[in-house]
Amino acid sequence: MVSTSPLLHFAENDLQLIALSFMSILYALKIRWVLRFPASTDRQPPANPSLTDGARGARYSLLAVAMPWTIGSNRRHPLLYAQFVIFHLAVALSIAMSFAIPYAPRWIAGSMVVVALQVLFVAAAAVGIVRLIRRTADPYLRAISSPDDYFALIMLIFWFLFAALAAPNHGETCRLIYFLLTAFFLVYVPFSKISHYLYYPLARWYLGRTLGHRGVYPLKGA
Amino acid sequence: MASPRSYKAQKLIERMQQKLTRQMVVSLSACAHCGICNEQCHYVISHPGDPTYTPAYKADCIRKLFKAHLDWTGRAVPWWVGARSVYTDAELEQLKDVVFGKCTNCRRCSLNCPMGVDLATFNRMARGLLAYVGMLPEGLAHVSKDQWETGNQMAVSPEDYLETLEWLEEDLQSTYNDPSFRIPVDKPGADVMYTINPREVKFDPRSLSQAATIFHFAGENWTMPSEGWDMTNFGFFTGDDDLAAALPSRVYDAAERLGAKKIVMTECGHGYRSLKWEGPNWAKRTVHTPMESIVVTMLNYVRSGRIRVDKTRNNLPITYHDSCNLARSCGLLEEPRELLRLICTDFREMYPNRAENYCCTGGGGALMMPEYSSRRLQSAKVKAEQLQATGAKIVATSCHNCVEGLLDVISHYQLDMEVVQLVNLTANALIVPESPPRISAQ
Repeated sequence: MVSTSPLLHFAENDLQLIALSFMSILYALKIRWVLRFPASTDRQPPANPSLTDGARGARYSLLAVAMPWTIGSNRRHPLLYAQFVIFHLAVALSIAMSFAIPYAPRWIAGSMVVVALQVLFVAAAAVGIVRLIRRTADPYLRAISSPDDYFALIMLIFWFLFAALAAPNHGETCRLIYFLLTAFFLVYVPFSKISHYLYYPLARWYLGRTLGHRGVYPLKGA
Repeated sequence: MASPRSYKAQKLIERMQQKLTRQMVVSLSACAHCGICNEQCHYVISHPGDPTYTPAYKADCIRKLFKAHLDWTGRAVPWWVGARSVYTDAELEQLKDVVFGKCTNCRRCSLNCPMGVDLATFNRMARGLLAYVGMLPEGLAHVSKDQWETGNQMAVSPEDYLETLEWLEEDLQSTYNDPSFRIPVDKPGADVMYTINPREVKFDPRSLSQAATIFHFAGENWTMPSEGWDMTNFGFFTGDDDLAAALPSRVYDAAERLGAKKIVMTECGHGYRSLKWEGPNWAKRTVHTPMESIVVTMLNYVRSGRIRVDKTRNNLPITYHDSCNLARSCGLLEEPRELLRLICTDFREMYPNRAENYCCTGGGGALMMPEYSSRRLQSAKVKAEQLQATGAKIVATSCHNCVEGLLDVISHYQLDMEVVQLVNLTANALIVPESPPRISAQ
């Protein structure tokens, strides 16, 4: 069993729960706020119900992230898509690890699991650095970037690096910093563009529902 | 202390909060500033090095207002997330330049956004906000006024409209030596009520004449309404939801008044989308009369043998331009292609096509905004390259705005091509039967 100081124990457990609860409450308020706005619907019957409809269009739209061939930019820039996958996979697994370390340490006890996680987190940090350089150097991206865009990237780069250091689940300092960063991340995201993942299913659902209803989704040919 | 706000800016902010829908709110909130939309936009491709044309930048011009007034972080720490309100009429003019002059609402960015941000929807909303405070481009304002006052965008008087139909009818009777040739007006209980773009009355009745010819030889039981015949909609372009609702309502009312069994629409991208899909939503009425494009009507005629065609009469290489509204908002993709394969011998696709096609640059009311013409024509470079790569001599399209837009592209970039609509090609391929057709049963 891995020993922890009272401070680390607090950071692994109570602090995470407080931060998670805070984030969840704010997200619930955000969703309630979004739902207060009226949703547009199509009054006319679907264009081609034998081939597609709103539900099918919405499913297609939601799954578009896993179908890179459906979006022109992803077809032309597979490397960028690969970066996207690495980055977001790392986010998901780092969040999962923040639960695994205090509550299910056996899940990340195997050396191969640890190495795989570390490779992923370091790769994601590298992707983050590449993205930061791109956002700073590319005039198109600079023009649409706010301080939040830069800060979010910087924060995640450090988070991934400390996730890589925390993955072996020993060493007080790295784990403490990792959990402090995680708590900060959870508290910060409702106020940041990072919360785009909250709106993603809604935006894709509504777009897909409309375009499926009208016979545009799923996309055909090009 | 906040700077004092001009009257128009204040009214615009108040109106924004009334016009936002859930779809717009999630689109405004979901942008991750990833920049993937950049290379999807014909304006960006054709204005290299200018980031103010990127979809995300254009969206942010609207988004910053939303954040300043409706987003938590934007209200508390606006500079952190790029939130900023508007205070002066000069800032509203800048916004007008973006939403009218840098975007045709073609939706190509929307379909390529990983997040599903639909810029076209809230860009139209922003146009409507500016229209509400009287900041419309002059050309759009004039045409909107004409549509309000006369029911059609070209201020064609009822007398001129009916006289045009009469002389077209006489011309066709003479051409085909067939006194039974009719362009019926206000015929009750017709199977088809045909609606048109006023351009066909005012500038180029050829397409109307050809449609009438096709209906006649198909033995169609059809009519045109004396009122409610304009299927175009400048409220669609300006974001004025009241006008946008009023215009299709006139068409729906005409169809109900005449007891028409189906509304068939001329080839017009925004008009088709407005009448078939958006109009009922804007007007808050469910329209029970089926509606279809004349492209589908003609295809069905050919498939069923109601008209016979000789495709060898259209033997030049032809490519097809998918209108943004038809392709990206209405799914009318395969029917034009199927018809083209039946009426011409050498149909070749342009690439990309279908929902990934590039805008003709004439959409979104752009043709009525000459102040943005040079910018628009520069943005057409990618379209010109697309056309040229096909090697086609003819580009067919199912949209009157696209006809004009493509004509401008062809002229500006000196391409050796002409623009036609599918009704032109179908009429050209039409085999005129020896005996007059019988009108199908009422």
